[in-house]
Amino acid sequence: MIEIAAAFLTWLGAALVVLADGRRGLALGLALLTAGFGVLALAGGQPAGAAAVAAGGLIASARCWRSGNTWGLMPAGSTARLVLCVASALLALWVAAAVTTGPGAPLRFAVLVVIGLMGARILASRENNVVLTSVACFGLALAAAPGIGTPSPGSAPDILGGLIAAGVMFVPAGPAQGAIKGRAGGG
Amino acid sequence: MLAAAGTLILVLVTAPPRVGRATLLIRGTATLAAMTAIALAPSLDLVLLILLVLAVLHAGLDTRRDFALRLRAPVLAIALLALGLALERMQGPPVLERFGAVGIVAGLVAAVGLLPYIHEFDPEEPVVASPIPWIAFVGPLLAATVLARVTHVLPPEAGGAFGAMLIGLGLVNVLWGGIASWRTQNEAVAWRYSFMADWGLALCGFGMAIADGRAAALILLLSVVIGRLPLYMWSRQALREKAPAERPINLLVAAALAGSAPFAGFAARVLILRGATSLYWPLALVLAAGMLLWLPGSLRLGRSMGMPRGRQAVGVGIVLAVSVILGLYPQPLLSLAGL
Repeated sequence: MIEIAAAFLTWLGAALVVLADGRRGLALGLALLTAGFGVLALAGGQPAGAAAVAAGGLIASARCWRSGNTWGLMPAGSTARLVLCVASALLALWVAAAVTTGPGAPLRFAVLVVIGLMGARILASRENNVVLTSVACFGLALAAAPGIGTPSPGSAPDILGGLIAAGVMFVPAGPAQGAIKGRAGGG
Repeated sequence: MLAAAGTLILVLVTAPPRVGRATLLIRGTATLAAMTAIALAPSLDLVLLILLVLAVLHAGLDTRRDFALRLRAPVLAIALLALGLALERMQGPPVLERFGAVGIVAGLVAAVGLLPYIHEFDPEEPVVASPIPWIAFVGPLLAATVLARVTHVLPPEAGGAFGAMLIGLGLVNVLWGGIASWRTQNEAVAWRYSFMADWGLALCGFGMAIADGRAAALILLLSVVIGRLPLYMWSRQALREKAPAERPINLLVAAALAGSAPFAGFAARVLILRGATSLYWPLALVLAAGMLLWLPGSLRLGRSMGMPRGRQAVGVGIVLAVSVILGLYPQPLLSLAGL
């Protein structure tokens, strides 16, 4: 039951990241997603991995929270994003619970839906803060993916995923610079 | 890895004075470190995470294009690979395994930047910040790593579909890359398409899943890293100065790029045709026809090198010599790869 709640929390977090344009909305989404993946890692018998995911995700979330004070939840024209969140959840739920068999359905659902939603968010957005938050979520989902079909994937993916989530928020991703004079070629 | 390190050293030593060697060294070494991690990673999941780090760092380089735009292709690639791997690991109907194979092939092609996921290319962009490192520096090692390890994940039933997709996409890239590198107006863009054509042949080799095909793919990818990439780097100055040349050295470079005997590309082509003949002879016919497309494009690229002088002339000589050695006696390399 806890795993199902964690998977739902993960989807809710990913949906918030998709639906929010403001930093606080993104930070809350990332925090919820981190909590969900942390619980799923703990339930999978990876306490060290769960700690790494929680630490990395919360550092990223705090960094995102402090960098702005707008929520920007569901701005005008978000209907397509809302439909995407619901449709992807239904599709992932169908694949995880009905098409596939075996234990670990909540993890399958969480990984499929987060990779799909974050991939779509990164492909559709041009704002750096949105892209960086999505990459942090994407890293956490990739770290959780080895748990599908592998009894003990070890803590290494979770630790690396946590490091990516925390580190990516510090990447200086400035706007495009336009023509760069004097260095148009070479190395 | 050794070939990539050798290419980096060669390019550093022969770089013109206007190129910042320190920056090139730092960025090249960082990329080499990431490539070492990819090669040594115990699982494909870790490979994907390392690839994500590399993609973010590469997208963060100073450039004229947006960070978000530069990140799109690598993230799409990683997402497709991750979904493919996840589907392969799930217990379910066989059709899931086939979808998984589609995801892995599509992700690999997107990571390298081949058709139908060609990365956005700006001819004026510095080489290290452009998509060229993906197709010519990181891509060969990534493909070799992913294709070697995916056999542990991929069930035998999905192997046929996997190979067929690699061959199909390979043929498309051979034709598209060959024609585009010949017909496109911009010389730098023509170089980029020539990388795609080489990759097309390599994909066909990998898709055959027989020793000859894999050997040919390995030689082709190696010749991309230690041949085509440094030659492209050295052609940049002549491209800027719009100073093409038609000297014997340009003809030799064109011959090496076209895969003529005795260069490395020739050995690879012989192996791939032999493999295709043993697998399904009409495939060999199509491939042989496609190989003719290298000739006009390579003559054009050879001219675009201009007249290499000083260190660059030495560099071109080294590249041609290595290519001849690899073409005449590829067995030590193949033995090293267990083929």
